[in-house]
Amino acid sequence: MAKTYDCLFKLLLIGDSGVGKTSILFRFSEDAFNISFISTIGIDFKIRTIDLDGKKVKLQIWDTAGQERFRTITTAYYRGSMGIMLVYDVTNEKSFENIKNWIRNIEENASADVEKMILGNKCDLDSQRQVSKERGEQLAIEYQIKFVETSAKDSLNVEYAFYTLARDIKAKMEKKQKEASNPSGGRSGVHKPTLNDARKPVTWLSRCSVL
Amino acid sequence: MNATIQEIEGIDDYWGPAFRSVYEGEGHEAFVQQLDDRIKQHDKEIEKLCNFHYQGFIDSIRELLQVRSHAEELHAEISNVDANVKETTEALCIRADELIRARRVELNIAATIEKMELCLPLLTTYSKLKSQVEAKRYYPALKTLEQLEHVLLPRVGPYKWCAQISSDIPRLRQAIRDASMADLRDFLENIRRLSPQVGAMALKQTQDMMGRSLANIISKKDKSQGLTASDGPQCPHELVDFSPLHRCLHIHTVLGAKNDFIQYYRSQRRQQARLVLIPSSGNLHDSIQGIRNYLHAVLGFFILEEHLLTAGAGLVSKDWLLDTWGMSVTKVASTLRTNTSLVTDPNLMLKIKDQIMLFINTLKCYGLPTDPLPLLLQEMAEHYTEVLMQRWVGVFRDILDNGSFLPIEVQNQEEYDSVMDKFPYDGEELETQPFPRKFPFSSLVTSVYVQVKEFIYAWLMYSAGLGLGGERRAGAARHSASLLLSRSFAGCLSALFRRPLPLVQLVQIIVDTQYLEDATVCLYEFISNITGSELVTTQAAGSMFQAARDDAEQQICDKLEKKVDEFLDLENYDWLLVEPIGQASSFVTDMLSYLSGVLTSLEQLPERARVAAVRAATNRIATRLRALLLDPAVKQISSGALYQLDLDVIQCEQFAAGEPVPGLREGELLEHFASLRQLLDLITGWDWSSYLHDVGIDGGKYTLVTPKDAATLLEKLKEAEQKSSVFSVLKKNERDRRKLLDTVLKQLKQLQNQDS
Repeated sequence: MAKTYDCLFKLLLIGDSGVGKTSILFRFSEDAFNISFISTIGIDFKIRTIDLDGKKVKLQIWDTAGQERFRTITTAYYRGSMGIMLVYDVTNEKSFENIKNWIRNIEENASADVEKMILGNKCDLDSQRQVSKERGEQLAIEYQIKFVETSAKDSLNVEYAFYTLARDIKAKMEKKQKEASNPSGGRSGVHKPTLNDARKPVTWLSRCSVL
Repeated sequence: MNATIQEIEGIDDYWGPAFRSVYEGEGHEAFVQQLDDRIKQHDKEIEKLCNFHYQGFIDSIRELLQVRSHAEELHAEISNVDANVKETTEALCIRADELIRARRVELNIAATIEKMELCLPLLTTYSKLKSQVEAKRYYPALKTLEQLEHVLLPRVGPYKWCAQISSDIPRLRQAIRDASMADLRDFLENIRRLSPQVGAMALKQTQDMMGRSLANIISKKDKSQGLTASDGPQCPHELVDFSPLHRCLHIHTVLGAKNDFIQYYRSQRRQQARLVLIPSSGNLHDSIQGIRNYLHAVLGFFILEEHLLTAGAGLVSKDWLLDTWGMSVTKVASTLRTNTSLVTDPNLMLKIKDQIMLFINTLKCYGLPTDPLPLLLQEMAEHYTEVLMQRWVGVFRDILDNGSFLPIEVQNQEEYDSVMDKFPYDGEELETQPFPRKFPFSSLVTSVYVQVKEFIYAWLMYSAGLGLGGERRAGAARHSASLLLSRSFAGCLSALFRRPLPLVQLVQIIVDTQYLEDATVCLYEFISNITGSELVTTQAAGSMFQAARDDAEQQICDKLEKKVDEFLDLENYDWLLVEPIGQASSFVTDMLSYLSGVLTSLEQLPERARVAAVRAATNRIATRLRALLLDPAVKQISSGALYQLDLDVIQCEQFAAGEPVPGLREGELLEHFASLRQLLDLITGWDWSSYLHDVGIDGGKYTLVTPKDAATLLEKLKEAEQKSSVFSVLKKNERDRRKLLDTVLKQLKQLQNQDS
């Protein structure tokens, strides 16, 4: 049976409440923007298929609640993620400062080789800006993470951000695949994953290797 | 011979015979002789005579000569005298002539003066007439004209100018008539201009009168004591000077055209009425001023007519007035109806209604029937309700658009109290909890509740002063309020559901509608309180939003199913899998954990809805998995793949068996998987003998597996096995298995044929 896609990447959006995670996702999945704010409860996801170097890549993007009270629910989703978008609001200093905490969260909960990206959202609201682009860059360089400023409202850099993250994941995956096909690569191979490791990207990697 | 001479002498003439005899005789000589003798004789006699008289003759001549000289003297003398006389009398004659002339002039003058004296009154009257006409005092002018015509003119002789004046009279009369008509037209124009003011004043008076209370009057009296009474007109009709009209009527009465005049007046006024009835400003629904002006004009018109009716003079008859009014009031009502039906501003509607009420009351004061107008007010009430609803649809839409649909959380007593003030919530339990306290409903409930109250206030504003009883008002208010909720608000909700809303928000909306429904009783209480009527609780508020809730629940189910579909679209089975990986597929575990997360967040949902949601989700999973297995696009399925799927189904079954929500029948969710489970059990257990034995028998182990489905799956399995063993030599037990497989397939095909 012909598959409708070649790869599945699971991405995660995290960041403080109200920085625009849902809006970014809404912009990416529906190409629309809703001015009213409805805070996300628990967790939700959207799926969009993109074309990456001739490969159909399905992105399952998990949108998490920024609010503290949902933290336990959301952290459970870190583990399965292959890419994480860290979102802050350029008009909100606090949300920027909290990026460091979010990164710590990732280090504690996500798999080590997860791809990350920092998004400074709401860059259309220049008059209310509290965090300069340079500070965003600075932070990103500090953590060796890619950075881009976005506007879900004006549809600025949203596509770019997701494509970039997806491309990075794909590159990393192909690199691993090469190592795996090379016997000296050392890893025991994709066909026999351990039971506890079921959700690791490795499983998905195996799917891709079939094609 | 002598004889003949004698004869000749004797006869003076007729001497013929004598001469004849002479002639015929012979004696001619003799005769001549005789004649000579005779002549000598006569000559002698003459001589004698002359001698005798000679002296006397000479004396006479002498005397005559003397006389001649005397006569000459006398002649001279007389000539002289005559000249003298002539000389002296000449001057006299001239004077006499002059005198005669002067006398004649004198006589003439006297005669003229006499005549002139006769003419003078005529002329003064005529000039009076002229000046009267000029001063537009037409009535006296007419009287003067009369006098002129019938008294003065006949008295004066037939002068040319008199004739002119007499010929002028009809012209003047016509002119007066025309002028008075012009006056009337001026008057008509004037009252057309003034009648809105008259109407306005009358309405104002009615308003004052209606607002009259003892306290009011006293306070007014106190105020007016200091001030002198206003010297403006006291009655509306005093604004208008009717004298031109009355004058005109008099004039026409004098002219003997009273009836014509009345007819003319009435037809003119009727035409005016028609004009008044067409709103001047085109669109009355733009502003209250348009309506006000219109009603003022209409009212003013009829107040003036009514005044003329009471003032007598027969210009306006009761029948005519009522007839005209009857025609007009229908027109007024229809004009108002068309115009108000376009109004979309409730405030304007209220103002219009007040204006019409005032209009009606004023009409009553003037004894004019109000008839189609109260009906119009009722119709407008319906329209007003519609307009209000429209407006509140906007309000609700705003609330819904900006709603967070999250439970209200209050940080302190103040906030708590403000919520409790807005919405009747029995918060005994909440009262004891520490802050922050959390209400079960979202701000949607309080906002909508407050807005419905606002609506009721606004609605009741219209019925105020309509003279409806409290009970009727309350009943209608209840009806409108519940209509507002069940139609407008529910409509907004349905529209909201068309938007992709997050699940939890949907849930909150369902919860909120429940609270709103429960609060309708309080709304009725509120209505009873402000209308002062008894509380009516018979009307069941119950399922006002059931449709909306059903909508929301359906939406939740749809959403869950959609999410399930999204997960299942991620399915990536390797249908030729040799060996199962020993654990459930990742999309299944993701899905089940997602579902249990969602279901816990549905806690607040009524049990019925949660059960429906979980049923929908599980049913979807089962259907999709089963379809996957039987998908014609999948040509072969290895037993490894089959076991993998079985493992996934087991995961799902565990989820279903774990009672993810309360209120389910024992094992109810598992039923959705039953047919899939039987199919899987049949294939994996290779239990064909039981299946074929039990076919068609109720209560069998595999009753839900149709021979067709069983055959389809078996074919796929066979395909996969054939593929995997193309190059290997079949072992004995494998050959047996293949044989059995073929037999079973044959049997199944047979069964299928029987069925069809």
